[in-house]
Amino acid sequence: MADDSIFGAMTTSAYGMRAQGERTRVIAENIANADTAAGTPNEEPYSRKVITFKNEMDRQHGQRLVKVADISDDKKKDFPLKYMPDHPGANAEGYVKMPNVSMLIEMTDMREAQRSYEANLGMIEQSRSMALRTIDMLR
Amino acid sequence: MTLQNIPLMKAMSAKMNYLEKRQAVIAQNIANADTPDYRARDLSKVDFGSVLKDVVKTDRVRMTATHAGHMPPPGQVETAKEGKQKITYEVAPAGNAVIMEEQMIKATETNMEYTLLTNLMRKQSGMIRTALGRGQ
Repeated sequence: MADDSIFGAMTTSAYGMRAQGERTRVIAENIANADTAAGTPNEEPYSRKVITFKNEMDRQHGQRLVKVADISDDKKKDFPLKYMPDHPGANAEGYVKMPNVSMLIEMTDMREAQRSYEANLGMIEQSRSMALRTIDMLR
Repeated sequence: MTLQNIPLMKAMSAKMNYLEKRQAVIAQNIANADTPDYRARDLSKVDFGSVLKDVVKTDRVRMTATHAGHMPPPGQVETAKEGKQKITYEVAPAGNAVIMEEQMIKATETNMEYTLLTNLMRKQSGMIRTALGRGQ
């Protein structure tokens, strides 16, 4: 499919939606694991995942599309310590390493992903109406 | 004779082509609204009216542009060039310079112009049909 046709635009938007969907999945994973603490004192707790996108040439479609570049651990944020002496993961002082997931950040990220998803959906809607209008000229 | 030989039709279909291309570029921008280091792109403006100026002299022999670098002869629609948008509202810390609102306005603009052109084209073919004596 040619890159500059209306259908090419729709493919681009569809891939954008797919990337944002994947981002939502990663955020859901982070939120679900917000309390997955370390099981033993030497173990690390769940690490927050970050997703990055890239714009890359897709040979099959013959155009540039958004793809997920990488899903990796967030190494920049330290694990917070929580005082829980009864926990099996507590160290000698009674502190447990908790995941570096911040609910506020995840929620903001989720909103952003949602907005981008909707924007892509809006683009598909518009491209569709353009294509339909062209087809309508046949009547 | 094809409809393409009518300068107005030619200008209109060139513009529709341009709008389709622009829609694809905007879709690309919106899809990359969260891609690091991505700069919004846009098509250069094309003067479609220049084709119409040539209406009275349609019997001239013209050269064909077979390469994107060729200068279009008068009466032919120049091709739009795609390039990075130089002036943007802001650049995010990740290096992304896609402003969703700006792109949305552009998309709506493209859509509206496309509607206008499809309607104009329908009117034009209606006129031809009237001239042929078949009415609308």
